[in-house]
Amino acid sequence: MAKKKNKQIIRPWCWYCEREFEDEKVLMQHQKAKHFKCGMCPRRLNTAGGLAVHIQQVHKLEPENLPRIENALPGRDGYEVEIFGMVGIPAPDVADYKRRKEIELGLSAGSISQPPPKRAKIENRPLSESELKAQLEAHKALMGNSQGAESSAAASTSDASIGAVYGAAPQAYATPPPPMSGGPPPPGFFGAPPPGFPSGGPPPFPPPFMAGFPPGPPPPGFPMPPGFLPGGPAPPFPPAGALPQFPPPPFIPGASATPPIPPLPPRGLPPPQFIPAQQQPTPTSTPQPPVAPPPVGPLAPSAGGPLPSAGGPTSSESQGLTTEVRPADPRQGASQLIHPPRQLTLPNPALAQVNPEFKKPTILKWLDPNFSPEEQRSIHPTYFNFVAISSSEESKGKSLKRARAEDFL
Amino acid sequence: MSFFSNTATNAATTNASQTAEKDVEVADPPTDSISSLSFSSQADYLAVGSWDNSVRIYEVGAGGQTQGKAMYQHQGPVLDVCWNKDGTKIFSGGADNAGRMFDVTTGQASQVAQHDAPIRVVAWVDAPQSGILATGSWDKTIKYWDLRTPSPVATVQLPERCYTFDVQYPLMVVGTAERHIQIFNLTNPNTAYKTIQSPLKWQTRVVSCFTSSANSGFAVGSVEGRVAIQYVEEKDASNNFSFKCHRRDSVPNAKDQALVFAVNDISFHPVHGTFSTCGSDGTIHFWDKDARTRLKTFDAATGPISTSAFNRNGSIFAYAVSYDWSKGHSGMTPGHPNKLMLHACKDEEVRKRARK
Repeated sequence: MAKKKNKQIIRPWCWYCEREFEDEKVLMQHQKAKHFKCGMCPRRLNTAGGLAVHIQQVHKLEPENLPRIENALPGRDGYEVEIFGMVGIPAPDVADYKRRKEIELGLSAGSISQPPPKRAKIENRPLSESELKAQLEAHKALMGNSQGAESSAAASTSDASIGAVYGAAPQAYATPPPPMSGGPPPPGFFGAPPPGFPSGGPPPFPPPFMAGFPPGPPPPGFPMPPGFLPGGPAPPFPPAGALPQFPPPPFIPGASATPPIPPLPPRGLPPPQFIPAQQQPTPTSTPQPPVAPPPVGPLAPSAGGPLPSAGGPTSSESQGLTTEVRPADPRQGASQLIHPPRQLTLPNPALAQVNPEFKKPTILKWLDPNFSPEEQRSIHPTYFNFVAISSSEESKGKSLKRARAEDFL
Repeated sequence: MSFFSNTATNAATTNASQTAEKDVEVADPPTDSISSLSFSSQADYLAVGSWDNSVRIYEVGAGGQTQGKAMYQHQGPVLDVCWNKDGTKIFSGGADNAGRMFDVTTGQASQVAQHDAPIRVVAWVDAPQSGILATGSWDKTIKYWDLRTPSPVATVQLPERCYTFDVQYPLMVVGTAERHIQIFNLTNPNTAYKTIQSPLKWQTRVVSCFTSSANSGFAVGSVEGRVAIQYVEEKDASNNFSFKCHRRDSVPNAKDQALVFAVNDISFHPVHGTFSTCGSDGTIHFWDKDARTRLKTFDAATGPISTSAFNRNGSIFAYAVSYDWSKGHSGMTPGHPNKLMLHACKDEEVRKRARK
């Protein structure tokens, strides 16, 4: 008996003033009369949105000058929430109201606000394989359909080739990127992984397979290492001397055919995109020497190194090597080889900007008129370290240090 | 100053709540904040630059599922990425002062550009004779590279540090520190066609050129939650306007809109010419500059939206929920969301509305 009563205890109530009513019809009449009445004419509207449109269109008021909803509790007098009877009340407010009702009626917590136990009829057993498959299919179909519908819609309006491209393009690409990439990119857990690749992660992959992917040093026994290594993404900067200029290969793929070819074999491998989870955390993790910190030694010199050997015809890099100080560059000074600058300096302090005054009280979130968030971020030690490692000055600094160390010896 | 009427809000919010759960999260996003996104103009491949020094390339499938395809590294945070016209190369610029090229067909990355300071923006200029890479840097220059020589084919001195530029050949608009805006006609890329002061009074955050528009122009977004629509030619000046966005009430329902967030990115829809803005407040809006209306509002995300991009036909809208340093280092909490989301654009969200 008591339970039945509970259900009826929550009667329709008005979100605006929290009054209770016998039934929703009365509630709607109340809302029309009390809250959705236009102040400027006798008209009564059904909803807040309707009232807003009415006031704007009939009484020509700017949207920001709309009068508050009448007779409403503070905080509930806005037009954002579309209320119609009991429909449209924000869920948190419903929960809150129920909770207060419980307290008011002296009921135990949850007796109203929690759904009756009956309703919780969720089967708690593990799904069988066939069921899982069916669900997956359903999900796939759902995703596929929505996409299909959307793309066909788009196709009708604009680009008739979309459908074809969606299907075809990846193939055009598919050849090179996956094997090459060395790319760590990892399992797409969204949607459905290719059948046969349970989302379990690493375990299913036999080690040689895993190893084939990352650009890292291939383990013994891996089929294609020798060719692959040079072809990998890492060596954009082959050790000094190898590139008197910026490396030519990318420009004339035909000419540089040697490195690109070896990577082809892995294409035969099943979806290479799958990299065990432990390898995703990119650069610093172990298995990716070519891209990760280890190369810093070889790479850093190469960033600055080859250029001078090229006669330093072009880039400012070479200037950096010959000149002691580059005051123009706010981020790096000769004296700050190791410690990142604590502050950005304006190239011309005379031109420093000042934020104009606000007409009304305002809290501007980015207050620095002279530097962008990215500039501030790039000098923060978290990020500056990387810069320091790579910058030519740094490599120079290192060589200086090394020289000094030799002196000591 | 509300050029965009608020009447659409109700409908838009209901839209948002329906679509929010449909936006697809990209698996295995970068490990640090996402600085830049770029879709290939040939296929649904997405290049993503990150503060973790890497550029990742994802293939976006028909259902929005993604697969990582490749990755390469900078020696500093990556600040911008772009594709060339035929979708065979990816360019990126970073805080290591280097511009790098990744060849999609060979999987090799190489350095193709060099500045004296971090490269903030890169763009592919699809000039008729041959494509050119443009890089803009905090060293106050824009350099053009033809990729065959290690030296730039031209260097343009800017009045201040380059914060942003956008290219819609032959128009290029550059936004720098101190609110300078330079407009270039890329048939004569070495000198500015026009130099103006930003129509907005606060620091320029982003400029973006109109797409599919009869009269060329651009949108400027500032740190002070405001976007200006600006036409290049004097004759269209009467159509210039600016509007407020990405603001929030200091306390709920105070209606004062006192919290003002930066506009982090503006992306124009390649087909319809409507555009998106995203901000530090975690919201994204779609707008129609001609009807001056808001087309759609996304539910506020749990963190700032650092960057956004439409794919080549505008059917996919990608955005990054990622820390943008808007609160300095202290805002960079370990649990800060770092997500790459894909939104399937419905036609009514991005199509122009009839002008009132």
